[in-house]
Amino acid sequence: MNSLLLKKVLLSFSLSTALLLAGEQFSMSEADKAMYEELKENNPADMNVEEGMEIFEELGDEAALANFLEVDEKKLAEYIAGFPRYVKKMGNVVGLDQVLQALQVAQGQKKYDLSSEVMSSLLAYVKSLANEVAINIDVKANKEMEISFALGEKLYSEVRGYRGLSCNSCHSLPGTILRTQILPEMGAQNTGGTWPAYRMTLSTLVTLQERSRTCMRDAGQAPLPLGSKEMVALEVYITNLAKNNKHKVEIPGLKR
Amino acid sequence: MNKSIRPFAFISFTLLAVMSVYAVDMNKAYDMPDASKIVKDDLIPSPTKFIIPKDCKLDDLERIARGKYMFHALNSKNDNKENLPKGMKAPKEDEVKPYGNCVACHNIENAIGGGTVGPPLSNYKANFIDTKVRDAQFVYQKIADPRVDMHNTSMTVNLTSKLFNESEICDITAYVLELKKEKPTK
Ligand code: HEC
Ligand code: HEC
Repeated sequence: MNSLLLKKVLLSFSLSTALLLAGEQFSMSEADKAMYEELKENNPADMNVEEGMEIFEELGDEAALANFLEVDEKKLAEYIAGFPRYVKKMGNVVGLDQVLQALQVAQGQKKYDLSSEVMSSLLAYVKSLANEVAINIDVKANKEMEISFALGEKLYSEVRGYRGLSCNSCHSLPGTILRTQILPEMGAQNTGGTWPAYRMTLSTLVTLQERSRTCMRDAGQAPLPLGSKEMVALEVYITNLAKNNKHKVEIPGLKR
Repeated sequence: MNKSIRPFAFISFTLLAVMSVYAVDMNKAYDMPDASKIVKDDLIPSPTKFIIPKDCKLDDLERIARGKYMFHALNSKNDNKENLPKGMKAPKEDEVKPYGNCVACHNIENAIGGGTVGPPLSNYKANFIDTKVRDAQFVYQKIADPRVDMHNTSMTVNLTSKLFNESEICDITAYVLELKKEKPTK
């Protein structure tokens, strides 16, 4: 565990210095591109996943989670590939990270902060249990999911903030260039199935909700708090785009 | 342990374990902060029409210089805050002004890293003003609030959102309309 941490610190240090030396004008300099190719072979977030595995073992592993979610352990991976979900005993449509918080509390432990790196690592590991499984979020599964999806869809196209932009302002124009960055096609590029991801520019593991907060801030919108109904709804909406494109869970992702 | 109490001990242990899980209210065992107020406070007024002010002199060189600065400035530590054009205040720490971020989406003469989300605005005067396809009022309205003539636009709202004031929208309009020369590439 300690050597793992040290490895992580050293790696992120060397990566951030390398990025500082690379040109700042364009988002992906030649040096950045070379580094990206290298990282594809050896994603630094694999270490987060390993760390998450250790924490999850202490929580009682798949058996404990399956029991908490009241699903057959053999169907757990498939069930994980359907989050965010309505979990009746939690009373809301929730993300997998919130389920892990509740599991911690149920076992008499202190829950991790949704914004903490250990939580991102734990989330990455547990979501990776569903790697290679087709994303199967069902936005019509029940009334609660329908409401959450509708809220996500609304928020995605709602203009707000001091620049009057919505997510859709930019994300409806994939392939065009904004501030030297190519706008991603969220559905086709499996955004919903590839976060938590290692973000090269930040040298750290980032969750989908954290990534969305960065866009909000950059676009002049007030960033929504992690785990809020609104944020979960956006995750529902974005995950459904990936499902519509027949993607599978692929954790951890690697991003610029 | 006495044989006869073993099943009893087992059952009560399981019961206890199950109860300890359910003793905690799972509705409160995780974080779900309320964001509805944040969203509500962040909404901006609906599309609003604006008329170009009478004192907006489009050939005023100081205006054009300020407009040029705002057009090309991104929210970046790289921006040249020391050499601000006349009549422009240096932004305070973390202040958004005077960053128009136009170049993030639009190409224009001598742009560095111009985007393609919006149409290129190079040769704007020759292509759109001299040909009477557009006029100053159109450009002013587009920058102030582009939603008025395009409901689902991807462009930023700059006056209705109160990011800029009327005089600043005039500055940026003046810059877009100016006849510009492309610097020869080195
Ligand atoms: C002003 C433009 C703009 C707006 C508005 C915007 N985004 Fe983005 N977004 C981008 C760009 C550009 C990227 C890709 C940047 C990069 O290359 O890292 C991106 C990437 C993302 C990604 C990562 C996609 C992936 O898999 O790599 C997510 C998630 C995201 N945006 C969510 C949102 C959400 C949610 C909103 C609205 C609340 C939003 N964005 C609003 C420009 C925008
Ligand atoms: C997030 C992207 C984005 C930003 C930032 C942006 N624009 Fe635009 N702009 C667009 C898009 C997309 C259009 C085309 C749709 C429309 O006309 O509303 C457009 C259209 C225009 C037009 C109309 C061109 C024509 O004749 O049809 C002008 C002028 C213009 N923008 C100027 C500006 C200025 C000045 C700024 C900065 C204050 C700016 N834009 C910032 C995306 C953007």
